[in-house]
Amino acid sequence: MRRPLLTGVAGVALLALGLTGCGIPASTDVEVERRVSTAGAGSVSGGSLQPPARTAAGSNAQTFVNNFLAAAAGEPDRAYDRVKEFIDPRHHDRLQEKQGSEVALTVVRLTDDPVITPDVDSTKVTINVQQVGLLRANGTLLPPVATERSYEFKLVSAAVPGQGDVEQAGLYVQDPPNALLLSDVALAQYYKESSVYFWSSDRARLVPDLRYLPEAVPEERQVTEVVRWLIGGPSDWLRTAVVPLPDRTELINNATGSADRWEVNLALPANDEERLDQFATQLAWSLPNLDGQVELKVQNQSRRVVDLAGQRRANPVYELAQNPHRFCVYDGAVHPLAVVGEPGTVPLAEGDNRNVVSANFDRINDRTLAALVVTGPDKRQRLAVGSGAAPLAGLRKGPVHTAVGRPVWLRTLDPLQPRGLVVADGSLYLFDRDARMSRVQLNGVTGAVTAVAASLDGQRIALIVGGGLYVAAVDMDGDSVTVGPARRVFTSLTALSAVDWAGEDRLVVGGSTDRPAVYDVSVDGARQTALQENVGARVTHLVAYPVNPVAPQPSAVMYEANGVSYSGSTRIQSDQVLDVNPDPTGDRSGNPTAPFFLY
Amino acid sequence: MVTSPVQDSPSPAPRRRGAAWELWRGLAARGARLLAGLHQTWRRSLQLRVVTITLVASSLLVGGFAYVIANKITDILLENAVTDTRLRLTSGADYTAKQVSLFSQPQEAQLQDTIEGTVNYLAGGDPQQTSGVVVAITADDHPGILQTRSSPAIDVRPLISRELRAAVADGNVAKQIRTGRLTGERTKYLVYGSPVPTEFGQIEIYYFVPLARQDAAAADARTTVAATGVALVLLLGLLAALVTRLVVTPVRVAARTAQRLSAGLLDQRMAVNGEDDLALLAASFNQMATNLQRQILRLEEMSRLQRRFTSDVSHELRTPLTTVRMAADLIFAERDEFDPAVARSAELLQAELDRFEELLTDLLEISRFDAGFAMLDAEPTDLVPVVHRVADRLAGLAERVGVAIELDVPTAPVIAEVDPRRVERVLRNLVGNAVEHGEGKPVLITLGADETAVAITVRDRGVGLKPGEEKLVFNRFWRADPSRARQTGGTGLGLSISLEDARLHGGWLEAWGAPGQGAQFRLTLPARAGDRLTTSPLRLVPADAALPFGGPRDGGLLAIGPGAGGALAVTPAPAGDGTAGERAEARS
Repeated sequence: MRRPLLTGVAGVALLALGLTGCGIPASTDVEVERRVSTAGAGSVSGGSLQPPARTAAGSNAQTFVNNFLAAAAGEPDRAYDRVKEFIDPRHHDRLQEKQGSEVALTVVRLTDDPVITPDVDSTKVTINVQQVGLLRANGTLLPPVATERSYEFKLVSAAVPGQGDVEQAGLYVQDPPNALLLSDVALAQYYKESSVYFWSSDRARLVPDLRYLPEAVPEERQVTEVVRWLIGGPSDWLRTAVVPLPDRTELINNATGSADRWEVNLALPANDEERLDQFATQLAWSLPNLDGQVELKVQNQSRRVVDLAGQRRANPVYELAQNPHRFCVYDGAVHPLAVVGEPGTVPLAEGDNRNVVSANFDRINDRTLAALVVTGPDKRQRLAVGSGAAPLAGLRKGPVHTAVGRPVWLRTLDPLQPRGLVVADGSLYLFDRDARMSRVQLNGVTGAVTAVAASLDGQRIALIVGGGLYVAAVDMDGDSVTVGPARRVFTSLTALSAVDWAGEDRLVVGGSTDRPAVYDVSVDGARQTALQENVGARVTHLVAYPVNPVAPQPSAVMYEANGVSYSGSTRIQSDQVLDVNPDPTGDRSGNPTAPFFLY
Repeated sequence: MVTSPVQDSPSPAPRRRGAAWELWRGLAARGARLLAGLHQTWRRSLQLRVVTITLVASSLLVGGFAYVIANKITDILLENAVTDTRLRLTSGADYTAKQVSLFSQPQEAQLQDTIEGTVNYLAGGDPQQTSGVVVAITADDHPGILQTRSSPAIDVRPLISRELRAAVADGNVAKQIRTGRLTGERTKYLVYGSPVPTEFGQIEIYYFVPLARQDAAAADARTTVAATGVALVLLLGLLAALVTRLVVTPVRVAARTAQRLSAGLLDQRMAVNGEDDLALLAASFNQMATNLQRQILRLEEMSRLQRRFTSDVSHELRTPLTTVRMAADLIFAERDEFDPAVARSAELLQAELDRFEELLTDLLEISRFDAGFAMLDAEPTDLVPVVHRVADRLAGLAERVGVAIELDVPTAPVIAEVDPRRVERVLRNLVGNAVEHGEGKPVLITLGADETAVAITVRDRGVGLKPGEEKLVFNRFWRADPSRARQTGGTGLGLSISLEDARLHGGWLEAWGAPGQGAQFRLTLPARAGDRLTTSPLRLVPADAALPFGGPRDGGLLAIGPGAGGALAVTPAPAGDGTAGERAEARS
C-alpha cells in the first residue's frame, strides 16, 4: 500500500509542478546573443571648416578681431559657446544667451578696418559696420534689427601676469557687444549659399529662397537641413508669392543615407500624390548637388523613390531658350546685336519699330511679348505693348508719361494674360497686353521708384525706391497682382540707378561706391561683388542674363552709361548692330542704346 | 496516516505534557486504526485497487504530458516574443546607427534631439498607442553629456540589470527577463539590449517588451491543459471503476453462490446474461453445481438406503433373535442335563447370543445417529456420582482381569448440563476399553472442570496406540490388529457411538496413545448445553508421557536451536550442561 501511495503523491506533485512550474519566469539570467562589431557606422565627411579658435590669432589684435567676428559661424546651437570662448570669462554674463531657434547672428559689413587703440592694460577696438541682416538658426538672413553703426569692445591678454607665454595665451574680449556678431566675410567663408525652392501660390512655378548652411555641417546632414528648411517655410518676404508645405508636415528624425540614396521620412497631414510629387520636385531642385535617389516615406510607409536628377529633368524650374538673343535700340528702332552667339530677329513689324526709347521682349511658348517705350510727337513717352506670333504689328499704346523706364515682363506661364511692370514718372505701374497701366501700391516703402526688375520665376521683383534697393514678392492671382512687403537689401553702394536679376538669388546693381560701378549683390545684400568698378558715368540702363540651373550660361551684363552701351566691360560698337538700313550717307554715327536680352 | 505534531510547549508542566502525549497517542491510535481500515479495504476491494492504480498511473502520465505541453506552449510564446523583439531591436539599432551616424561629437545639441526623436519613432510615435513597448537609448560612455532617453519618457534604469548593462556595454546583443513597473502595473518585461556603434563611441538601445499578454496566454493554456488532464484522469478512474465493476460483480455473485452451495443450498444458480466470458463462467459454474448436486444427492440417497438397510436388518434380526434367545435360554437352563459337550455348546450359544444382541443394539443406536433421530436429553447433572457408578459397575470386570481402577475426582459436585445416560454410556465404554487393554496395570479416571467445560480422562498403561491410530480408533469395527479375532471386548461400535454422543453434546472425544505407554481418552463437554467449546480443563496428553522424539533424559535439559529447513529444533541439551540452572519442562 505504501508504494502506490508514494507514487500517487509523486503524481500529484508532478501535476502541481506542471501547473506552476512552466510559466514565464519572473526573472532570468542575462543571455548574450552575439557581438556587434563596434566599428564606426560610416564616416562623416565635411564639417572640417571651423572658424579659428581664440588662441589662433596669438596676440595679433587685428586677426583676433577678424576671428572674433567669425567665431559665431557654424551650427547655431553652439554659437554662444564658441563666442564665449573669445570673451573674458568674467564678462560672459554680458552676452545674454538665447535658446534654440531664437539664436540669431547679427551679420555686419565692416565699412572700414577696425580701429585698434592700445591702452594701458587693454586694447580698445572700434568697428564701424553696416548692418546687413540677422542670420537665423533656420539659415535665413532677415533684414537687420540692430541699428548700431559701430561696436566697441576691449581686448585683454589672457595670460596671467608674469606667467606663461603671452603669444600662446592669446587675447580675451572684454565688454563684448551683446550680440553674436558675424562679419560678411565670415559669412561668405563659413557658410554655403544654398537655394531651396517653394511653389508659387498657383503651384505653377518654383521660387528659390536663399539660405545659408554652415560649412561645419557635414554633408550627410545636408538633406536633413534642406528638408527642415522646406518644412519650416519660406522667408518672410516671399510669403506673399509662395505657399509653404501644409501645416503639421514634419520630418521624422533625420534624413539618412549616403551619396546616392537617401531616405526621408515625413509626417504629412494629407495623403496627396500630387502634393508629394510637388514636394519631390521641390526637394530635387533644393538639392542640386545630389543626383542619387531619395526614398520618400510618409509615416514610415515608402511612397516613392525620387531620382533627383530625373525629377529635375522632368520638372524644369524655368522655361528658357538655350541661347539668349541680344538686342538694342539704335536710331529709334530695335535691332539685333551681334555680340556673343547667334543674333536673333526683331519680332516687330516694320511700322511699329519706330521712335523706340527702350524695349523688352519675352516669349511664352510660341508667343512673343513685346513692350516698347516710344516717344510721341510731343516728346512725351508712352508704352506700346503687343503680344502674339511674331512679327507683331498694331501695338497697343498706353497712356502718356513724361518719362517711362525700361518695361519688364513678369514671366508667366499663361500666354493670354501677360503682365509687365514699368516705372513711369517715379511710380510703379502694372501693364497688360492691351497696354492698360495701373499703378502698383508698394508695401512699406516710400519714395520715387526709379528702377524695377523681374526675376526668372516672375514671382520676385527688385526695385530701387528712394535710392534704396528692395526686393519684393509678386503674387499674380487671376486679374490682380499683389506686391508683397518689400525687403530692403543693404548694400554699400550709393546712388543706385539701375537693377536687374543676375541669377536666382543675385542682382546686378548700378550705383556708386566712390565712382559709378556695377555690383553683383546677393538678394539679401550679404554678399556684394564688384563687376565694373570704373564705369565712368552713372549707369542709366542695366540688364543681365540671369545665371540659372536650366540653361547654364555665364552671366552676361549689358549696361548703358552716358549714352554708351557696354557688354561687360566692352563697349558695344555701332557696327555690331544688325539689320540697319544702309544710310545713304553711310553714316553710322549713332550709338546703340538700351541693350536687352531675349531669353 | 494522520499525524499530529507533538506540541512543543515551552511550559514544563508535566501534566500538560502528559495531556499532549495522550492527545498524540490518541491521534496516533486513530491514525493507525484508519490506516488499518484502509489497508483492509485495500486488500479486500479489487475495484479500489484497480481504480487507485489507474488514477495514480494516469495522473503520472497526464501530469507529465501536461507539463510538457504547457512548457512547450510557454516556450513557443516566449520564443515568438523574443524573435519579434530581436527583429525590432535589430532594425531599431540599425535605424539608430543611421540617425546617429550624422554626428561626430556627443556634444552636438541636435544629437540629443535626434536620440529623443529616434526613441519616439522606434516606440511607434504616439505614446498613447503603443502596446506598452518601451524603447530607451542610453549612453554609458558619455555620462552627463547624453542623457538616457526613453519613449514613453519614464525611468527605465531599474529594469536594466547591472549584468545586462555590462554585457551590452561590452558590445553584445543581450536579453533578460525582468519583472518591474514601467507603465502601469508591475509586469514581466523582456529586456533586449544592443550596442549601437557611432562616430563618437558606443550608445546602447534597449527594448522593454511587456510579456503580460504571453503570460496570460500561457496561464490560459496551462489552465486548459490542467483541466483537461484532471478531467481525463477522472474519466479514466471512472472507466476503470466501471470496467472493474463489470468484472467484479459477476465474480462476487459467483463467490456468493459458491458460498451458498457450500452451505448446502444446492439449488443455487448464477444468472447467465449474454454470451461473453462471464456468461461462460456462469454457465460452467451452474453446470458444475448441477453435477455436484446430482452426485451429492445420489450419494445421500445411497447412504440413506444403506442406513435404512442396516436399521431394517437390525430390526428384522431382532424378532428371530428373540425367538432364538428364548430357545437358547431354555437350552442353557437345561444344560446341566446334557452331556458336557452339548452343555458347552449351549454356553457358547448363550454367550454369542449376548454379543449378537449387544451388536444389534449398537447397530440400532448407530443407525439412529445416522438417521439423525438421536435426541439429547440434557439436564444439569453432577458428574461425580456418574463416574463413581461407572467405576463400580466395572469393578467386577476389573477385578477379573486384575486391573485397579483409580479415581481422581473432585470432592465437590461437578455440575454440567448433559444427558447422564449417554455420558454414562461413553464412560462405560471408555473405562471398559481401558480395563480390557490395561494389561493388568491400573486405569486412572480423572474428572476436571472449569467455568465453561467439564472433562473426563481415562488413562490406561497398556500397549498403547501407534501413531495415527488416535483417529482410527473411532472408526466403526476398527481393529488395531486385524488378525486378532473379535472374541473379547465390545462390538467394535462402542467408540463410534461414544464419539456420536460427544458430538451430540457439542463436545469432543479425543484419544492419545503411544506404544508402550498406554492410551488416554478425553471427553470434554460444555458446561452448558449449546455452548461452544474452546478449551478443555484437562490435558489430552498425560503429564508422564514421554515426548515424541524420545524426550530428554530424566532431569536433562532441552536445547532450542536452528533445525533443518529454517525451522526451530528442540533437542536434548548436551550432557553436562544441566548441572546448574533451572530445569525446563516440556509441555505440549
